[in-house]
Amino acid sequence: MTSPGDAAPVKPPPSFSPGVPRVASKTRYPNQRRDSSPALDADLGDSRIGSSPTPPLSATTSDLPIRSASPHPQSFRSSTPQLARSSLGSPVDGRFEGSEEIRLLIIRSFSPVVGVYASADTDELVRQKGFAGGFWELIRPFGENVPGKIVIRDSVGASRGWEDFGVRFVDLAGKTPTQNDSSAGRSSSLAQVEDVLEKQLGSADDPLGGSMRPKDFLSFPTTSPLYKVFLRQLLSISPATPHETFRHPVASVIAISSRNTAPLETLRQLYADTNNGNKRVPEWVHPEYLRYYVLVHDEDRDDIAESTKLYDQMKRHFGLHCHLLRVRSTQCVVTDDDSAQVPECEWQSPAERLSGRSEPLVDLDTNGLLYLFESDIMAIKAFVRELVAQSVIPYMENRVAVWNDQVASRRRGISGRFMSMSRRWAGFGSSSRSSLTAGGASGNYDLTHGYYKADTPEAILRKMADFAFMLRDWKLSASTYELLRADYANDKAWRYHAGAYEMCAVSMLLNPSIMATKMKLDGVDQMFDTACYSYLTRCSDAPNALRCLTLAMELLKSRGGSAVESAARWAMRAMDLGLVGSIGQGLFSERVSACYAARSPVSGMKWGSRRRKAGMWSVFAADVWLRLGKPSLASASLEEAERLYADVLESDGSFPMPEMQTFVDNLRHAVKVEYLEARGLDTRDETTTAEALGTEETSEQLDRRKHRKSLIANPLDLGGVGPSQGPRDNDNAANDDFERA
Amino acid sequence: MSYYFTILSPTDVPLFNIAFGTSKSGGDGIARFRFPDTAQYMNQFIIHSSLDVVEEAQWMNGNMYLKHIDTYPPASAYISAFLTPSGARFLLLHQPPQLPTNNVSSATAGSGSILGSSFSGSGGSSSRASASSVAANPTSPQTEEAVRQFMTEVYENYVKTVMSPFYRQGMEIKSSVFRGKVTAAGRKWL
Repeated sequence: MTSPGDAAPVKPPPSFSPGVPRVASKTRYPNQRRDSSPALDADLGDSRIGSSPTPPLSATTSDLPIRSASPHPQSFRSSTPQLARSSLGSPVDGRFEGSEEIRLLIIRSFSPVVGVYASADTDELVRQKGFAGGFWELIRPFGENVPGKIVIRDSVGASRGWEDFGVRFVDLAGKTPTQNDSSAGRSSSLAQVEDVLEKQLGSADDPLGGSMRPKDFLSFPTTSPLYKVFLRQLLSISPATPHETFRHPVASVIAISSRNTAPLETLRQLYADTNNGNKRVPEWVHPEYLRYYVLVHDEDRDDIAESTKLYDQMKRHFGLHCHLLRVRSTQCVVTDDDSAQVPECEWQSPAERLSGRSEPLVDLDTNGLLYLFESDIMAIKAFVRELVAQSVIPYMENRVAVWNDQVASRRRGISGRFMSMSRRWAGFGSSSRSSLTAGGASGNYDLTHGYYKADTPEAILRKMADFAFMLRDWKLSASTYELLRADYANDKAWRYHAGAYEMCAVSMLLNPSIMATKMKLDGVDQMFDTACYSYLTRCSDAPNALRCLTLAMELLKSRGGSAVESAARWAMRAMDLGLVGSIGQGLFSERVSACYAARSPVSGMKWGSRRRKAGMWSVFAADVWLRLGKPSLASASLEEAERLYADVLESDGSFPMPEMQTFVDNLRHAVKVEYLEARGLDTRDETTTAEALGTEETSEQLDRRKHRKSLIANPLDLGGVGPSQGPRDNDNAANDDFERA
Repeated sequence: MSYYFTILSPTDVPLFNIAFGTSKSGGDGIARFRFPDTAQYMNQFIIHSSLDVVEEAQWMNGNMYLKHIDTYPPASAYISAFLTPSGARFLLLHQPPQLPTNNVSSATAGSGSILGSSFSGSGGSSSRASASSVAANPTSPQTEEAVRQFMTEVYENYVKTVMSPFYRQGMEIKSSVFRGKVTAAGRKWL
């Protein structure tokens, strides 16, 4: 350490000296490197948490929640693998992969929606295969990730291929999502998210259910799977609403089967249903969307020649947007030769998750899972790819081009420029004043029902912007949202207004070419602020407000640099506004910590990072987890805190401030006790060593560990201890003393 | 407004701590932080975490008084910092009084209470009658100036104290005279 009293520098030196931290952490936990090297799989999906190889028997007895005291930390880490980052290398290295992953998750969550409307005979055919939900359920999982590269041309004609493009199939035959049932579900949807997390935690907390797969320890998993579940749930809450068109159908698949006796009439009927019949979309959904006609051919029973003839006929009638899907109608079981498991739906709304229609949390190789023939899967994949690559994407590109030409460019003309000027005079984002300067409302907004009709310019522009957004042309979408913001403010269409601000900021952050200058970021912050205020105060729309804040946090975090500070601020805001439940508090505390930890020091310098803040928030997260009775998560958070603090604390890892030290010590102890109690173990032994959580504890644990291993390997080796005593001791860690003696 | 004042050595060891409340506008000089009494460690956590920012700010700015450098929004705690040439840091945490309306949201926070109840108080504080008084607005120029005066006065006394022949670099300051002087400065300026 420096002794600044000798000379009198103008500036005090940094309060810690280089070289200490890594050594410190190593000397403190001599066993750490070995233990934490089998880091967990980053892709340890939500679905996989519950399923696991059985951990070693000794894990249930000998490990303790704190890393310093735990020779075998894997089993408790399993529920939060982001904490299994090893101590190798710089801790900030892995951050960017992690944020990139989250960024892709966000991008993928805004994928086009394709309605599915199948005739009764098609659904009947599919039900025979074991899919109770009909044709929609059969193809739904395959839409989420379209195989191969999808090439999209943006508004300036540049093409870019995307590997991870997907569409979401929604069932049009079921209930049409109307505003009524969406508002009924809206109040509870955040509670549903919380319930899903609860459920997830319940299965993940099972002491034996921790799954872990060893992995190369250079790619650090950075985000906890629980948080990813949360994010995914949050992003898939929103039903179709008037104020944004992401959930409005871009296209609709109309399917009949080869069993149909009057195929063309049925197709006409189905089309009529969606166009002006009872399956018609609400007034605020643009009624002109692409129709895609599918003939499902039953390979097992029907004649392909017949179907081909019918298919040719369909092509003559309906043009190019047709497909012949050949599937077998018999049900596939596991024992069949070429059976393959149906992938799970990644994007299920919280309600679906809770109803447990498909049970992703239970062990995978058992009940309730559907299997398909390999050939069927190939056929469906080919169908989805053709649908997306040859029909949906070109259709969307076309619409964007047409609307950009007809509607947006008119607005960007003289009047548009005038509006933007008035907006500039009125000050950024001050909606009340700009509404005065820019004249009265346009009159297109239906105040009583709260929406724009689908054919008004405002609605079309919004749809165009959303299309551009889904096609990942963020430059166009940002500029279009920007155009719309003032209109919505004029009309006092607050939900639209909030949505436009939110998506404008999101598009700007997603656009990789926009540099994160300070001024730009201030603008983005302003937009998020306005959006959040509009959502929450004017519309009391908590789920959307939370979505907005979460997107703000994640995208700002992925920007890195000074943006992470505002990212952390948005996360704190979300917690502070009470938008997240108790589990969410813990998750968001962890995220704040991650945000601060993502701030890397100024190159070559020792300052500029935010390790202390990150460490502090990890400690808080541990505290929250402990209050929730999740000691394993708490211990993982504590461990993360130790790792973060390692750089800034003295070599012995103690805090300079006494009250902090006391708090952290107490927390550690409480976590340890609860952890053992949660496993039904006697904590007698540990309560006596309340303070001694340091190195002595470590060696003690190591001792025990060795004994146990030898005990398991060969019980007879231990002189007086008979083989019958082995299992009993394994059940009770507190009885170990005599064994060690 | 409640204050928590700390002098940290260059190695982050606290040399001196004092908590006091405002004496202006009828205050009784007793600190009332937003955390429950069992959570007074929060002050130290917040101070400690703000060292990150101090370390960055000290190279960006030529002054000894670094002004308001950091905020902890959940508890609306504001940190001002002052550097001495010897490397000791003066950190002052100031927290506006909790508004009564915040109790509702703190009740909903329930179990997660240590995260502080609310930082809507930071927005609400401007609605108080005397916006120019030190207690009302932690980021106003008046507050900055008052804190600067306080810091300068404490610094004067600190120099006198550490020049005592019985004081060695890095020792905790136990002088009751110094404590009295700091209290007086707090009463005078904050």
